Amino acid sequence: MNAVALHRRPWVGARDRLACVLIFVGITLPTAAFAQALNMINGDVTQKIALSDLRAISDTTFTLYDPYQGRDVEMQGVAFRSFLIDHFGAVPPALHFTAWDDYEVTLEGWDDPNWYLITLEDGDPLTIRTRGPARLVERDYGDRDVENLRDFNDWIWMIRSIEAKW
Amino acid sequence: MTSKIKPSVQPSMRPRVIARQHRYLTWLSLSLMSFLGLMVLIVYESRWVYPEIQAYFSQTGSLTGQQLATRSRVYLQQAQTELLSDQPELEAFDAALVNIELAYGLFDVHVYRRQYECAEPSLMDMDRLMARLQQREIAPVVAVSELFMPIECLTHIEMSQLDRRGMAINDFSESTRQHNQVLTYSSLLIFVMGLVFWWLHERQLRRTDYATQETFEWMQRAMRDPLTGIGNRSALHQDVLAKKHQSLGLILVDIDFFKQYNDAYGHPQGDTLLRQLATLIGQTFNDEAQLYRLGGDEFAALLLCPDTATLKNYCQQLIKGLHEANFAHPAHPDNKGVTLSVGGSRFVAGEHTFAYAYEAADKALYRVKAAGRDGWQVTEDE
Repeated sequence: MNAVALHRRPWVGARDRLACVLIFVGITLPTAAFAQALNMINGDVTQKIALSDLRAISDTTFTLYDPYQGRDVEMQGVAFRSFLIDHFGAVPPALHFTAWDDYEVTLEGWDDPNWYLITLEDGDPLTIRTRGPARLVERDYGDRDVENLRDFNDWIWMIRSIEAKW
Repeated sequence: MTSKIKPSVQPSMRPRVIARQHRYLTWLSLSLMSFLGLMVLIVYESRWVYPEIQAYFSQTGSLTGQQLATRSRVYLQQAQTELLSDQPELEAFDAALVNIELAYGLFDVHVYRRQYECAEPSLMDMDRLMARLQQREIAPVVAVSELFMPIECLTHIEMSQLDRRGMAINDFSESTRQHNQVLTYSSLLIFVMGLVFWWLHERQLRRTDYATQETFEWMQRAMRDPLTGIGNRSALHQDVLAKKHQSLGLILVDIDFFKQYNDAYGHPQGDTLLRQLATLIGQTFNDEAQLYRLGGDEFAALLLCPDTATLKNYCQQLIKGLHEANFAHPAHPDNKGVTLSVGGSRFVAGEHTFAYAYEAADKALYRVKAAGRDGWQVTEDE
């Protein structure tokens, strides 16, 4: 009996594991399905970069005062200029950004080593709630007034896609 | 008397011309200075005004162009719509969660947390609500009602931010008005300063002009014989140099027995005779000659002379004219009126030729004196 009692049938274990997976998926699905990749659009070609891959190549860590959060934050990301060259072959004259909140903007002047595409903050991956999953920041913003958020308009949040404009 | 005589000293216009150019340049520099001053002001004002206008009025399409609070509120209202929709509850929860997460991201900004008391509790409420929605532990209607407080807070923030933006625009408007005043008064000040500088400059110019004129007159006087009003020896040299490469005739005139004249009539009468002779010589040459008194009773005439015949003609005219004038000379040894000894030479004006011409004319004059005076001679071998 004990042996019988202790020996659980194989399908029972599988069912439990399936239930656990379903619960986990059920809880995490909205976020997971919502922002899992960054689209790099170059003409007709769209390349999806998994956020896990993006985080894996985020090889630069620095601490920066984030005017939107009002505190020093340890940011981890990748040099945006190099990132553009890796994916577009060169730095496009302009980039069209689409964010997860449907914000869209086209900006120029990205041939600048000061910009970083960050994916982690204080060691945690960025989420929509923390204005992720990817965000652009300037590593050095000089003596701009951190109280004036208008001066940080180019810090694109919640980046969903980046389209090269040649 | 002297007005009939062609002035021996050239009244050169050079100092006046220089003075006028100087004034012209000063006007130009003053205009440029005023223009530059105004330009600096305008550029300064533009540099100040343009970024301010951009900051307040050109935010459309930028990250903070539309208030984050507004965008956050819209997402919360969309979440409420999803929750109250007819779709299956799980799908409604998922859709609502997405909207609330977006709203949270836009709401969770330091400036809101710091300035609005309702921000922190609202964010905590949203955080709790998202957890309950993920665990499916809440009724849709309850979830909808729990979003009202954050929405109310966001609306408050929106209104307050709009007020702040309005005040900022008012401040900007006031600053613009003040800057306009500064611009107006500064322009006026620059204009008045320009006028004052111009007046000071003109005054200085007039003084300089006067001093130059005075100096020039002194120079003219230094070149003029004060008794007869004709040029002196220095003027003769200067005029010869001024007529370089021209064919000239030099006539030297010496009054015969002038000492005896002075002894007989006295020096004042002698001076009168000198003035009369200066006038006579000038009239005889039809004002075509420049006259000089070289000292004592010696005169010189300088005239354009293309050939020796012309020179001789002038000499003849002079002697003839003198005889016609018939100035009395009570002490003349030959019982004549005033007579002259005249010597002439012709030369091409130059620095070195004049000395030879003078010497040649002087030799001719002494030949006349040696021959008994009252006549003329011309040295033809220049």
